[in-house]
Amino acid sequence: LAGPLSPPGQDPHGWRVPVDCVRANELCAAEPSCSSRYRTLRQCLAGRDRNTMLANKECQAALEVLQESPLYDCRCKRGMKKELQCLQIYWSIHLGLTEGEEFYEASPYEPVTSRLSDIFRLASIFSGMDPATNSKSNHCLDAAKACNLNDNCKRLRSGYISTCSKEISATEHCSRRKCHKALRQFFDRVPSEYTYRLLFCSCKDQACAERRRQTIVPSCSYEDKEKPNCLDLRNTCRTDHLCRSRLADFHTNCQASFQSLTSCPGDNYQACLGSYAGLIAGFDMTPNYVDASTTSITISPWCSCKGSGNMEEECEEFLRDFTENPCLRNAIQAFGNGTDGNLSP
Amino acid sequence: AAFGLYFPRKEYSENVYIDQPAGTPLLRIHALRDSHGEVAHFHLCQNLIISRARSHENHWFQIRDKTGLLYLSKSMDREDFNMLSVGNWMPLSKVMLYVFLSSHPFQEKECDSATRTTVFFSLINATAPVCSSLTARQLCFTEMDLSFHIKENKPPGTFHQLQLPSVHHLCQNLSISYKLLAAEGVPFRYNENTTGVSVTQRLDREERERYELIAKCTVREGFREMQVEVPFLVNVLDEDDSPPFLPNGTDTADAIVEFNRKEGTVLATLTVYDADTTPIYPLESSRKKYTGTIITDDPWISETFRVEHIFDEIHFNPNGSQVRGTRHEYKLVLNKSISVTDHRSFQLDVLVNDTEFHGPERSVMLHFNVSILPVSIQFPNMTYQFSVNRNAERFAQIGKICIENCMKFRGVNITYKLLSPNISCYPVNILQGREDKYGSLYVNDSSVLRRPECKEIQYTIQATDKQSRKHTKTLLTIVLEGTFLKKEEDCPESCAVSKHHAECEECGGLGVLTGRCQWRQGSGKGITTNYSTCTPSIKTCPDGICDVIESKDPAVCPQDCTSGNIIGGHGKGTGNLGIKSGHGICYCFPRQNCYCEKDDIKEQLCDDVCKTVI
Repeated sequence: LAGPLSPPGQDPHGWRVPVDCVRANELCAAEPSCSSRYRTLRQCLAGRDRNTMLANKECQAALEVLQESPLYDCRCKRGMKKELQCLQIYWSIHLGLTEGEEFYEASPYEPVTSRLSDIFRLASIFSGMDPATNSKSNHCLDAAKACNLNDNCKRLRSGYISTCSKEISATEHCSRRKCHKALRQFFDRVPSEYTYRLLFCSCKDQACAERRRQTIVPSCSYEDKEKPNCLDLRNTCRTDHLCRSRLADFHTNCQASFQSLTSCPGDNYQACLGSYAGLIAGFDMTPNYVDASTTSITISPWCSCKGSGNMEEECEEFLRDFTENPCLRNAIQAFGNGTDGNLSP
Repeated sequence: AAFGLYFPRKEYSENVYIDQPAGTPLLRIHALRDSHGEVAHFHLCQNLIISRARSHENHWFQIRDKTGLLYLSKSMDREDFNMLSVGNWMPLSKVMLYVFLSSHPFQEKECDSATRTTVFFSLINATAPVCSSLTARQLCFTEMDLSFHIKENKPPGTFHQLQLPSVHHLCQNLSISYKLLAAEGVPFRYNENTTGVSVTQRLDREERERYELIAKCTVREGFREMQVEVPFLVNVLDEDDSPPFLPNGTDTADAIVEFNRKEGTVLATLTVYDADTTPIYPLESSRKKYTGTIITDDPWISETFRVEHIFDEIHFNPNGSQVRGTRHEYKLVLNKSISVTDHRSFQLDVLVNDTEFHGPERSVMLHFNVSILPVSIQFPNMTYQFSVNRNAERFAQIGKICIENCMKFRGVNITYKLLSPNISCYPVNILQGREDKYGSLYVNDSSVLRRPECKEIQYTIQATDKQSRKHTKTLLTIVLEGTFLKKEEDCPESCAVSKHHAECEECGGLGVLTGRCQWRQGSGKGITTNYSTCTPSIKTCPDGICDVIESKDPAVCPQDCTSGNIIGGHGKGTGNLGIKSGHGICYCFPRQNCYCEKDDIKEQLCDDVCKTVI
C-alpha cells in the first residue's frame, strides 16, 4: 500500500490527492503565513472546544487560511516512516474540529485502493494452490507453514510469539506492552498475504479454530484479569494518537452500510480487513475471536457493557460493531473462501 | 437542571434528493417533558457540518418551532450537492445538523444549548424516486433502528411519529397504515390519526427497563397489500430515586488483625445494595456519587485505616423482568503496617452516603468491630539441633530457622542472625532471602567440617523484628557426624555437569550434604517437569525456585537458577530462570549453557544372564 510520496496533485477523478501530514507540515513551515496561522490555530485549540474557538476572530481567520493549505486534508499511511509524528500533526488540527465526542471518527489514513483479489493472486503464486479448492486441509496450519517458509514472516512471527509468552515473574505473566509492540511490527511489516491467512483462515473443526484464536497469543495480548466497560476502553483508546487513529480507521472501513451488497463501505473487503489487522495491538482495543467455534465467527475487544448505566444503548452499539458486524463477518468469510466482494476494482 | 426537556433519540436520519421542491417535509422530531406545563421549542443551528473541518451556512433546512417538523425551505440543486459533497469524510455523502430544544421561544441564533440532537441527511445523487420504485420497507421505515429512551418518573407524552413525512408527501395515493404490536398492559399508546406513539404514564426503571414492541406497517396499492414488521424498542433511563439498603440488614462485621499486619490488607467487607444503576464510566463521578467515610476523631484511626469502595452491576428481578442494580462493597483496609506490639479493640463506623438521592434515608452506617491482637516474637520452646555430615560441601542446606507462626506473618519483617561463638569451629551461617520469613542454615566453610576437634558446636540464634526492634534468642546445636572420606579425582565442581546416573553418584559437588551428588530419575515422557538430572540434593534442587543459597553460586543448582541458553526441548522457569521442564536428561555447565536431551547410550551392555554365559 505504501507508494512514493506524492506532491498534492490531481487524480483522474478530480479529487485533490492528499499529501501526508509530515510532508504537509514541511510545506507549511516553508511558508511564513501558513506556519504562523498553524501556530495560532494550535494555540486556539489548546484546551478549548470548537464553539469557543470559532467565537474568536483570530482563530477563525487562522482556520480559514489553513483550509487552503495542504495541512487541511493531509492524511497518513499505515506503517509509514514517522507514522506517529504524522498522526500527531493530524490530530493537532482535527481534535479541535470535532463537535465534542463523536461516535464515529474519520480515519486519518489514506483510503485503501487495493483489493482482496490482489492478495489471492499473490497467495496462489506462493502456495501453488487455490485456497478455495482444497477442502480437506487445515487452512490455519497451512498459513503457519507458509509463514515459516518466508524469512521475514518467520522472524517477526517467532519474535512476537516469544515476546508474548515470556514469563516475567510469578505475578506478571508477560509484558503486555512489549507483546503489543511486537504484534504491531508483525502486522505492519509483513505483507498481508501472510498475515491475513493466519488471521482470517477458514475453519471446519475446532482445533483449527482454536489455532486461529491463538494467532495473536490472546493470553497476553488480549485477555486481562477484569473486563473493563467498552466506553471506558474507547475513552482510554482515544487518549492515544495511534490507538485513536486505528479505531477511527476500523470504523471508517468496517462500518456496516445498508447501501451495498456486501454491507461494506465501497464494497471494499480489503480495506476492512486491513483496518481490523491494524487495530490488533492497538493497545487495549485489540480485537480477537471470542471462542473456537467453527460455525459462527464472533469478534470482540476485551470489554463488556456491564456498568454502563444510562449509556448502555451507546455501549452496546459500540460493541455490536465488532460482535455483530455484517461487513466484518462477510469480509472474513470472503477471505476464507477466496472470493472478493467486488469484482471490479 | 434548569429545564428538563429532552429528546427521546440521539440521532435522526433522512435522505435528501436533488431538486426536491421547497416545502418538502423531511422528518418530525419530538421532545419529552420533565415537568407538566413545559412547552417545547425547536430551533436549528445555522451551520451544516460537512466534515470534521468544514461547515457551511444552512440555506436549505428549517424547522417548525412548535411542532418539530423539519422541511426543505429551498430546493437543493446539483451545484449545491457538489459543493456539499467535497471533502465529505463519510462513506456516503452526509451532512449533519443540530436541533436544539428549549422551554422558551428562541431569541437569536443560540447554538450552545446542551440539549440537542443530531440529524444526518444523506445526500442522494439522484432526483427523488418515484413511489413505485420504493420497497415496502423504504415506504414504511427509515434505515435507523426504532430505538428510544425515556426517562423514568416523567410526565407522559408523544415521542415518535411512525409515518414518514417525506414518503407521505411524495406518495399521496398510497395507503400506508401502521400498528404497534405489544403485550397487554404496556404503557404505550398508538394514535391512528396522527400515527404518533406516546407513553401513557410515568415509567419506573426499577420495575422494568426495557420494552420490546413491534411496529407493523401495511402498504395498500389497489389490490396489492404488503406488510413490514420492525422491532420498536424503548429503554427507560435511570435517575437516582432509590436509597441504599443493607442485604439481610447486615451492618456489622468483625475485623481481626493478628499475623497479617501488612499495609493494604483487607480486614473485612460489608455490602450495600442500591436498586439504581451506577455507571462504571466515567468512574470518578460515580465514586463521588457514593461515598464511604470513616467517622472518627482519633487521628491514629484515620491514619491506620482506609475504606476502599468498589461497586459492580447486579440484577434484581421484580415481577419477572430483569433490572440492573448496584452492589457496593466497602472494604476496611490497613493504611499502614501495624507494629507487633499494638493491642487495641474498638468499633469503627463508616458512613455510606448516596449523595444524589433526595430523601431522608440517603445514608447507612456500617460498623466494623476491630480487634488488633499483639503477636509474640518467640522461638518454639525447644532448641534447634541439626547434624551435619563431615563430607558436606559449601552451600549445603542444613535446615530452616523459623519463629512461631512465622509463615503466617505478613507485614512483619523478621531477620535471623547467628551470634558468633568464641570458638574456632564456625562452619555454618544463616542466609535470608528478601521476601523470606525464615532463615536458611547452610555450610559456609566446609574445611571446618574436616577438622577432628570440631564435633559439637553451640550457637545462639537471634530473631529480630525490624519495626519494633523486639528480639528473641534460642540455642542451636550443630553435631558433626560421619568420617571424612577422600574426594574423587577429576570431579567437576557442580553436580549438574554429570550426564549419567553412575557418574553422578560417584562425585560430589557444591551444595552436597553427604559428599555425593544425587540422581533424580525422571519419567521420560516428552518435555516434562520431572526430567532426569544430577543434583546436590533432590529436596531443594530442582524445585522451581532459585532460593537464596542456590543463587549465591551458579554452580550449586543451575537447574533452578540458570539464565543462560538451554539447548534442546525445554520450558523456562519463572522470570526466565532455570529449567522448568526438559526433555530427557538435563545437565549444565555453570556460567555456560544447559542441555536437555534424550540419552541414547544403553547403560547395560551385558545383563546378568550374559555375564554367566561369559
